[in-house]
Amino acid sequence: MQNAKDSFYMALRTRLTAINPERTILLRGTVRPGIVVEEAEAPFSQLPNDVFIVRWLGLGVDMDLGSTMAAEECEIVYQTCGTQSFGGLDRGRSLSEMDEEVAAMLAPFYTPKLNYTATPPATMLTQVFWDEPVFAPIAVQRDRLSRSAKVMVYSYQEQGE
Amino acid sequence: MAANWFSAPAPVARRVRGYFAPVNRAAQTPVLFDASEQGGFNLDAPPAPWISLGWIQEFTRKPASKTSPVLTGIPAATLEQVRETLEAQVGLQFLSWTKLTMALATGSQHMNLLAAASGASQAADGAQAVAAVTPQGGSTATSILLASADAAKFTAGSIIALDVDYTGQMGFVGAPVAGAYVRQTLTDVDYIRRVTFNVALVSQVNSTGLTLAEPLPGGAPAAGAKLQAVTGFVDREGGSFYQEWSALFVMQGSQGERIFFHYPRLQTMAGAEEAAIPLDGKNKGGQARILLKGQYLALPVIDPLDGERVLCYRSFLPASKALV
Repeated sequence: MQNAKDSFYMALRTRLTAINPERTILLRGTVRPGIVVEEAEAPFSQLPNDVFIVRWLGLGVDMDLGSTMAAEECEIVYQTCGTQSFGGLDRGRSLSEMDEEVAAMLAPFYTPKLNYTATPPATMLTQVFWDEPVFAPIAVQRDRLSRSAKVMVYSYQEQGE
Repeated sequence: MAANWFSAPAPVARRVRGYFAPVNRAAQTPVLFDASEQGGFNLDAPPAPWISLGWIQEFTRKPASKTSPVLTGIPAATLEQVRETLEAQVGLQFLSWTKLTMALATGSQHMNLLAAASGASQAADGAQAVAAVTPQGGSTATSILLASADAAKFTAGSIIALDVDYTGQMGFVGAPVAGAYVRQTLTDVDYIRRVTFNVALVSQVNSTGLTLAEPLPGGAPAAGAKLQAVTGFVDREGGSFYQEWSALFVMQGSQGERIFFHYPRLQTMAGAEEAAIPLDGKNKGGQARILLKGQYLALPVIDPLDGERVLCYRSFLPASKALV
């Protein structure tokens, strides 16, 4: 299942780089695409603005199949205060931009499954696939707007996993 | 050592893509789809002459062939089975309204509403039309060359229909798709352009002609073809004509596998009908998407492989490295 989670994240990260290369984050001294996996980073005292946080939630498995299917619930959390140059008055537009980027990152709704513990990453036999996102309502905290989108990510367990 | 195969469960697919190809009605020749040669095609760019119908939903196949037992002995037991009738039906809802999907989802002729001539008397399926103009030599499927005075009669964003004049033809008319069957001589010189499927949107107009946003289904204008502006489409409940088409439906599985349902001959078996699907499931009285419903009867073809009569071919291309 970890291979599916890694592949999903890397697919989104690669796509984000093409969609909006300017969305980046400075993390541990390195500039990276602006999407991070929450469980793979040091705990955040407060989520960073203008970045996508990938959070893994529920898990289900269906073992009555030729290959066991795993369904992993993913939440993509993001928030913004807008830009300083507009005094934050563009925070709604900034959030809309991030909404569009989430929708664009998720299409097409599949990606090859790779094993990222190998160097270079090894392509596996199956594909990871997912459904359309379900967007939550905007949450307002003073001048900060935040939203999350939930996606169910499916994958087949392969031999050796 | 890592395995180089996997046991694939049942395919998981989202929606169904539909594709259309014209049946040569006069020669009763359908278009055949060969999954072995064409199965890997780009779903957004089907091989000619297939034309995408977009996404469809509520795709249902209903085999209605009847079999009967041949009984023998006392008490009787089934010795053999015989196939008494051959029948299959297909139902679907189109997720787009186009000339093609409207025409296929109606029970009879589907007509283009030609731009009306000034002061023409009103008619339910379009008044007398503005006179057609003739394309010049060198026109292509996406570029119609016209005299500058003719080009000035069209605007970017308008729709055109291109086909020959009606001059007393009988039988199937319209190219590349038969749009009607003429049983008695008509008087409307524009009749074939009213029923033709050869329509397209104009993206640009200049003094030398029109550039089309999409290629004409019939390709470059044929000799004698003329064009007229179209304002919309109309079909009727009633009439005696049956649309017939070669159909291909594709389900793309999550692992890259593909299921094809190929009906060489489909004829509509229901009148025009719509389905209203609320955009917000919690607000049934709110905005609703209006979908075209289609119900079809599959007609048989003779498979030259073994001479059997068949209604549909179901092909399956497994996922890469999946056990079969």
